[in-house]
Amino acid sequence: MNASATVSLYTPRAAEIVSVADLTPEERLFRLRLCDGSELGHQPGQFVQLSIPGFTEAPISIASSPSRKGCFELAIRRAGFLTGEMHLKKTGDLVGIRGPFGNPFNLAELFDRELLLISGGCGLAPLRSLIQYCGDFPGRFGRVRILYGARNPEFILFRDDLQQWIDSGSFSCSLTVDNVTSGSCYEGATGFVHNLISTLDINPADCSAVIVGPPLMYRAVIDQLHCKGLPDDRIFLSLERQMRCGVGKCGHCTIDHLYCCQDGPVFRLDQLAGVKGAI
Amino acid sequence: MKTIADLELVGFFRQLASDYDIRVPVLLPDGGRAFGSIDDGALALGGGALPTKPTAVFFPQDDTLFAQGSGGELLVPEHSRPLFIAGFTALDLRCLKFIDRFFADGFRDDVYFRTRESAVVATVSGYCGPDGALLPLANGDCDLEFIALRGQWLVRAYSNKGEAIALLIPGEASADAVAEVGALAAIVNPDEEVIKAASALLLVDAVPDSFWEEIAVNCIQCSGCNLVCPTCTCFGVQDWRYADRLERSRMWDSCQLDGFMREAGGHNPLGTDALRTRRRIHHKLAADMTKWGELGCFVCGRCDATCPTGIGIVAIARQMVAQYGSFQAG
Repeated sequence: MNASATVSLYTPRAAEIVSVADLTPEERLFRLRLCDGSELGHQPGQFVQLSIPGFTEAPISIASSPSRKGCFELAIRRAGFLTGEMHLKKTGDLVGIRGPFGNPFNLAELFDRELLLISGGCGLAPLRSLIQYCGDFPGRFGRVRILYGARNPEFILFRDDLQQWIDSGSFSCSLTVDNVTSGSCYEGATGFVHNLISTLDINPADCSAVIVGPPLMYRAVIDQLHCKGLPDDRIFLSLERQMRCGVGKCGHCTIDHLYCCQDGPVFRLDQLAGVKGAI
Repeated sequence: MKTIADLELVGFFRQLASDYDIRVPVLLPDGGRAFGSIDDGALALGGGALPTKPTAVFFPQDDTLFAQGSGGELLVPEHSRPLFIAGFTALDLRCLKFIDRFFADGFRDDVYFRTRESAVVATVSGYCGPDGALLPLANGDCDLEFIALRGQWLVRAYSNKGEAIALLIPGEASADAVAEVGALAAIVNPDEEVIKAASALLLVDAVPDSFWEEIAVNCIQCSGCNLVCPTCTCFGVQDWRYADRLERSRMWDSCQLDGFMREAGGHNPLGTDALRTRRRIHHKLAADMTKWGELGCFVCGRCDATCPTGIGIVAIARQMVAQYGSFQAG
């Protein structure tokens, strides 16, 4: 192969793992820093292609706000080939990063509005980026309410953050779990996250909702938001697809004419009208 | 316009080989034709469109993205010499133009353009189709055109690179031959109308899910339709480990395969044969139309010729129009 050491669209940048923390039995939080000293330069809602030599790449949502300088964080569930290898990585190890990619949360559309941030399972990771941003710039947003659903108490992500968000007084948080495993000392709400919406006092003229979670969650949550009078152009969602390239070329994340890695992952619901298979 | 005899072509292409990597249609031992170097087999410039994906010369089945040495250094492949491709038909050129735009849009795909940008593309047209049938003229969108006419090839240049190469040909075409080329009839492919009608049906969502279930029963997931399609650009990424390096490459993928969109967590947006078959056709006839304002199928016929169960895009479009064609677009 004739080769030269040049940069390509597909070459990753080296990043060092600064710290690793267990979040649940299946999820870990990795704090990373780009080795060239630059900031990642992302916006809340974007993702990176995480690259490990020999294990290819996978799209991972960025779990920290761009307002937290120096490092960025990825919450990674051990689910496949690459993420299994990532869970073996330790502080000081190097990985590759491409990106940030994708359409972020449109902050301009969220400023000065009451926010309803609804997530399920791993969906709290990309939403955490937005929550941190709201916390860092509290004057820019109205009341921020966080609704989060986990499989069971063992799989509640970001427990410390949730407590900190409540303690800060900047957010209200409602937590529920699908079911409680026997022997658990959990005493909170049970049931799916969409059930938390019905009791909320929502002024549809002043509220925007953001939804991130497993595919099955979306329809039920959207139905509840419609019941509250929220229009589609005030509902934002981040869709999960298997992006292989992150740059709109590989075709694995297409939803009809949309490329989830470029047109998404964040969409406004009215932009998905008539797009089959989106949710 | 220049002229060159059939027997002089091999010598002409050999002459170009000092400056270019030559890819021309050659005869395979089994009687088929494929792009190869001038020494890979007898030159077979005539005979019509090649049965395989012509755009593979720029978007090969397996293409190295980068290599990583044992010291961690990243190396991006380079091509030392430009490609000279002869043998695209006018239809193939339209497909090439389509994927040129795709790979240039948004993030410019440098892996594609590292060969495409410097390449010289020569089209074949005139009476060089199967059994000497007339192939449509390109009339541009390439560097050179070889037009078969009564035992000779008329050569027309459309770019500076094409002009420079045409200058190597001593023979000047006669005024009669030039006039004859100008009078060649345009070729109308009736299947184009079928494809447009099917596209119109899809764009207004006039085709029910049950249709895709009926069609998908016939799909054996051989992926042949995708592998021969000049405008299919989907790929997967894999790492190859060698003793002294790791290579990351991309390889064609097929939306007809169950694992195409399946995520590590198990979610599969294309989890049924019906959804995958709809995706293949809808992407070309509706999604591409919405995104680019142009169909992603140029009716080259390769998928219909390849599909062992008769569900190439034209066959499906015909069935779609027959079943739901009472609808009138607009």
